[in-house]
Amino acid sequence: MNTAPTTNPDGSGWYEIRLHGRLDPRWSARFEGMTLTTGDGFTLLTGRVVDQAALHGLLHQLRDIGLPLVSLTQVETDQRPPHTTDTSSSGA
Amino acid sequence: MPSPLVRTKLFIPPVRRGVVPRPRLADRLGGDEQPRLTLISGPAGFGKTTLLAAWAEAEARSGRPVAWVSLEESEQQPAAFWTYVVTALDAVAPGVGAGVLPLLQAPPPMEAVIATLVNELGALPDGVDLVLDDYHLADGPAIAGDVAFLLEHLPPQVRLVISTRADPALPLARLRARGELVEVRAADLRFTLDEVTAYLNDVVGLDLDTPEIATLEHRTEGWIAALQLAALSLEGREDAAGFIAGFAGDDRYVVDYLVEEVLGLQPESVRTFLLDTSVLDRLTGSLCDAVTGGSDGKAVLESLERSNLFVVSLDDSRHWYRYHHLFADVLRAHLLEERPGEVARLHRRAAAWYDAAGEPVPAVRHALAAGDVERAADVIERSVIGLLRERQEATVRGWLDDIPYDVVRRRPVLAVGFIGTLMSSGDFETVPGRLDDVERLLADPPADLVVLEEAELARLPGAMETYRAALALVAGDPAGTVIHANRAIASAAPGDDLTIAAASALSGLASWGAGDLEAAHRGYSVAVEGLERAGNIADVLGCSITLADLRLTQGRLGDALRTYADALRLAAAYEVDGPLRGTADMVVGLSQVACERDDLAAAAAHLQRVDELGEHLGLPQFPYRWRVARARLREAEGDLAGAVALLEEAERVYVGDYSPNVRPVAAQRARALVAQGRLDEALGWARAQHLAPDDDLAYVREYEHVTLARILIRQREASALGLLDRLRVAAEEGGRTGSLIEILTLQALAHHAEHGPRDIAGALAPLEQALRFAEPEGYVRIFVGEGAPVAALLEALVRRSPTWPYPRRLLDTFHHHPAGPVGQGLVDPLSARELDVLRLLATDLDGPAIARELVVSLNTVRTHTKNIYAKLGVNSRRAAVSRAGELQLLSRPHR
Repeated sequence: MNTAPTTNPDGSGWYEIRLHGRLDPRWSARFEGMTLTTGDGFTLLTGRVVDQAALHGLLHQLRDIGLPLVSLTQVETDQRPPHTTDTSSSGA
Repeated sequence: MPSPLVRTKLFIPPVRRGVVPRPRLADRLGGDEQPRLTLISGPAGFGKTTLLAAWAEAEARSGRPVAWVSLEESEQQPAAFWTYVVTALDAVAPGVGAGVLPLLQAPPPMEAVIATLVNELGALPDGVDLVLDDYHLADGPAIAGDVAFLLEHLPPQVRLVISTRADPALPLARLRARGELVEVRAADLRFTLDEVTAYLNDVVGLDLDTPEIATLEHRTEGWIAALQLAALSLEGREDAAGFIAGFAGDDRYVVDYLVEEVLGLQPESVRTFLLDTSVLDRLTGSLCDAVTGGSDGKAVLESLERSNLFVVSLDDSRHWYRYHHLFADVLRAHLLEERPGEVARLHRRAAAWYDAAGEPVPAVRHALAAGDVERAADVIERSVIGLLRERQEATVRGWLDDIPYDVVRRRPVLAVGFIGTLMSSGDFETVPGRLDDVERLLADPPADLVVLEEAELARLPGAMETYRAALALVAGDPAGTVIHANRAIASAAPGDDLTIAAASALSGLASWGAGDLEAAHRGYSVAVEGLERAGNIADVLGCSITLADLRLTQGRLGDALRTYADALRLAAAYEVDGPLRGTADMVVGLSQVACERDDLAAAAAHLQRVDELGEHLGLPQFPYRWRVARARLREAEGDLAGAVALLEEAERVYVGDYSPNVRPVAAQRARALVAQGRLDEALGWARAQHLAPDDDLAYVREYEHVTLARILIRQREASALGLLDRLRVAAEEGGRTGSLIEILTLQALAHHAEHGPRDIAGALAPLEQALRFAEPEGYVRIFVGEGAPVAALLEALVRRSPTWPYPRRLLDTFHHHPAGPVGQGLVDPLSARELDVLRLLATDLDGPAIARELVVSLNTVRTHTKNIYAKLGVNSRRAAVSRAGELQLLSRPHR
């Protein structure tokens, strides 16, 4: 797992989580506030995480679904598209 | 105790029909190696529980007991976790929990609990396996350290088996290096092609060809949950090949794809049922009906189980089920997507069902999930007192963050319930501010005030003052404690016996710590009356221990005895089926009084009765008090090493409650060490406690200072005399005659050690005074336990007051104990005659006088004396007497 430099001691910020396998868009309701995009055999969950505890909670949820975790990256806020764009691009 | 226990968590899940035998894994679990830890680590739906259940069933068939705990998140609380673990062990190895479960009633250091558990397990004649299923749900810093400790100290016949989705925080690398770990991991758990074939074709009865099976194996990567879903989709399908091709050609999350397929096959009613009930952690017919609005919940659950549709039965009676976690997750995702607006309503219905069923914990969970904070607050407000009584403060504590303070602020009864929770958890910081808020609220109630039960409102002022009294006590302010306690009693609602009792006990505690024993006794007496009226007999018995302790300190042995006897009579009157809890503690008290009166046979008989009653009838303090009583008896019987060992155990299981620790077990152990002659160790204790002869004196440290005086006397330190003088004045002023008897006796010994036969009168004066106080109460052990030096002084006293029967009777006790010259701790034990001579050497008599006393020649005395010196390894009379004292040869009964 690589992490971009962060200045926030709580670890809040934008994260991008890459999973192996294509998750149905309906799961975005489960991962509140995260944007779910899918591609060829992978899923990207992107969004703001308030702190480390929330991040670990999210990872626990992913573990319990059983989709293999590929990478976890903290991304700079300005690299992020605005949060208001489509919350779940259909993977069809 | 985090009761009530959910018994289904201790139930080994029945092995479902349609399970593929997996000998390659079973062999690893049941192999000849006896690993300390077996770890089954893999993602959800990899068949961990199924594998373990099949293995546990085989173990049970072969006669090896398996203790099983299906963990949930609630077991992140140590008390809950260990209660389940110990209860599970006790169910298969009866007796293991007897000593441990009482410790879990009060929150002692967990180390004591686990040390006791390790001892109990070590004493098991046969092996046992402890299975912790779904360990990842409980794992965390509060649990991991103690589990690691248990693992490290696990006796060889006990094995720990853990299944988890994430590797536990245990020293796995070390265990691996020592060959003490067997691991079954994801790669092992994945179904091989053979196993997939066996499952799909033999068990499910599909008739697939090898390429089809290989395709499914490849697409699911041997993930059994996915294979099961695939099998469900395939059953009864005409076009199996088409389905498999479609599945293989799709790159979606397999569970998504398959659940959709499976749900697509269900009738609409079943599909709706599945989605509606996916909000539930546990399923039972009537709960499902409440949530779905239907009436056939039980039948649907049974049919789901028959069609193997991912429901897991939680008990034998087909009453409670749950969905397979993975299945439930997908169902919830479907529900959220299809009917997001209904989720809250479903949770609200579940909350209502649990509330009506009298299960506040899941009721609150569902109410919160529904976002219905007011309903959650309602449930908590009504249940908080009961939950605190069941010692579930950790659960209530968790809700503190869930209910916004704005809601709490309008609900005085709830607010005070939360304050009680914080007090029970020892978390006092925010309590004063919260109490002030409630007071303001009650003084000027706003329009939106919420009170569910008017009657509860009347209880609040008394309860709040009681908490203020407790805060003052914790802050070390006894005067403030008494003031608030009195206010609590004055403002208690009519008939609120428990508040009156609690406030009186707090006032008593404050007085006790301050050394005002009469006030303490008054407070506890009022508490006992209130508790008796409220029918809380276990607490009456708990307070009786304190009442008797106070009487013992006051030198009122007879009153202490009556306190225990009265409490026993009361307990017997309230007996329902079998003796009440606390009975064992009362009998321990009887034993202690008998020991004090040197009726060792009675003391032993009482302890025998305690054994028959069993530790489960003991209060939280029982484990340590019982060991102290046994140590005292051992000491009286001359087994000093045994006494020290018992006291060391007692220290480990010490539970103080809120009582001032006026007789620290460590000090009692130091005394036993002094008696054994292990002065260096006793001195080490005194140094560690920062005790010095010129300390300011306070009642709470009296026992320790008297212990220090004993050490100083043995060291022949003159400072003992000054310390004892000051202790004596303090004890006289505090009316502590029990302490005074001991202090006076030690003064006599210290004086004699300092001045010897030159001033025998100076030593006899305090001893005589001690005897005057002790005689009406029948004290014996306090003198006899001091051994030869006191015997010598008593002889002098008898010579001086020949008509006073008490010292003569005490002296007789020295002579009348049965036991020969065995077990003296000497390679070459002294003969009975040599012991006679030795005892006289400890007196002021010179050689000729000893010869006259024994009616033998002076030469004979010299011969005996020479042999005694040789056997004791000394070369002077003084050294011989000192050594004899260390070996307890003088107080040791002979003949």
